[in-house]
Amino acid sequence: MAYAFSVKNLCYKYRKSNEDVIRSVCFDVNEGEIFGLLGPSGAGKTTIQKILIKLLDDYRGKVSYFGNDLKAVGKSLYEEIGVGFEMPVHFTKMTALENMKYFAGFYKKTADIQELMEKVGLWEYRNYKAGEYSKGMKVRLNFVRAILNNPRMLFLDEVTNGLDPKNARIIKDIISDFRDRGGTVFLTTHLMNDVEQLCDRIAFCVQGKLGEISTPRDLKIKHGKRELNVEYRENGSTAQSVFPMQDIGANKEFLSLLNTKEIETIHSGETTMEDIFIKVTGVEVK
Amino acid sequence: MKGMLKLLKGELRRFVLYKILPVSLVTSLIWIVLFLFISAEEALELLPLLVFVDVSMMSIILIGASYHLERQEGVIKSMMIMPVSMGQILCSKIIASMVLAVESAVITSLALLIIHGVVVNYALLLLAVIVAGAAHAAIGFFFALYSRDFPMMLALLMAYMLPMAMLPVLQELKIIDINEWILFASPSQSGLIVLSSAISEVEAGEALAAFAYLMVLTLVLFKYAVYPKFKRTSVRG
Repeated sequence: MAYAFSVKNLCYKYRKSNEDVIRSVCFDVNEGEIFGLLGPSGAGKTTIQKILIKLLDDYRGKVSYFGNDLKAVGKSLYEEIGVGFEMPVHFTKMTALENMKYFAGFYKKTADIQELMEKVGLWEYRNYKAGEYSKGMKVRLNFVRAILNNPRMLFLDEVTNGLDPKNARIIKDIISDFRDRGGTVFLTTHLMNDVEQLCDRIAFCVQGKLGEISTPRDLKIKHGKRELNVEYRENGSTAQSVFPMQDIGANKEFLSLLNTKEIETIHSGETTMEDIFIKVTGVEVK
Repeated sequence: MKGMLKLLKGELRRFVLYKILPVSLVTSLIWIVLFLFISAEEALELLPLLVFVDVSMMSIILIGASYHLERQEGVIKSMMIMPVSMGQILCSKIIASMVLAVESAVITSLALLIIHGVVVNYALLLLAVIVAGAAHAAIGFFFALYSRDFPMMLALLMAYMLPMAMLPVLQELKIIDINEWILFASPSQSGLIVLSSAISEVEAGEALAAFAYLMVLTLVLFKYAVYPKFKRTSVRG
């Protein structure tokens, strides 16, 4: 499988900062995968994305895009990639459709605007000015803007932030479908729900460094706590016991609890991505 | 080139959407009405000043306002990820602002011709509007890029206007009398000289020096201040 991006010893320092904000970062993004970059605000994930989309070019280290040195790739890169920003990026006094038509005019090949806007439920609001859109609608319009040029690769920053569960689901389905059709996605987020549902592989970014890179499943297995949490009534209040999942059917104490107490809740103690993040990086996700 | 034309078309379309072009046309109409009530000599004396206001102050304010609005909207960041260069984005904005200045110069000079039958050097006027317009567009970008928001940009503009713009205007109106070579360093004074050279008698050497000064100033500002800062601030979002 080809690498969409191959990053070796990437370092970056902003003009006014005294030290590198990205420190010897190495990772590869496989073609056709959804690669998630996780981290708290200020961790450096947006800076890494800006480097990959050539908004920042004075970096050190080597970045290859489909085998070519990124520094040697010209503006044609933008014919092949789509970028979804977290904040709205539209002319507020133009209608949503006018915005999309304007941006689409700069690309050699474009997707069907109507089809895209219908998919995200914006077609009936196409003649509303972008400034009149709600936050969720702006997020969806941002997403349409990102995939307007039928990109080979998508960069998405907090793509479902501000969306209700139904619309978040729609966007996530489109992203999964894009991947299934061979597209590559680079997702930066702090929303662990998105990570679990979308990402094939993830990397943790903290203070400009990358921690563990793996699949969500492997991380859960590696860092998981196989246990059962039981809440039950005792002496008029709620008590809690934790049991190991191993041989739970033969655990006498657990079985006795089930038989003698009024059980309120039983939960398996699978580790969440957030727990893993805290464990791997030592930083609480905000 | 195709991308550049599309950018320019978009800029001009937004001038209409944001009511900038209609307001500019109304302003020109006010000048025309003014011409109806003054003599040909007075109109001829006033024309460079009227064109200068559009080329300089209006151009600076327009660029500052549109830059801060677009930055707030996030569209500059969106433009940076289109298959167009940053130079093309900047050029389209500069040319668009000059289109307004040219429109104003054409209307007012034609009004002068129709109302008072006064002919000016139209080719030189066009060149002067372009050169002075480019210099003031560079100044406009400089202020916009080095200010956090539009009100701060206006404050910078006020600080600039007092010594740089008001003194030449007061000199032109013969309210004050300062050595011309001191005033020459002001882009406003040089702008007035190049515009006046198309309308009334100006020493050739003085006009050439003013043209050269404005062109060098434009190049220096764009290359060393506007272009690098535009990239940094646009990327930051």
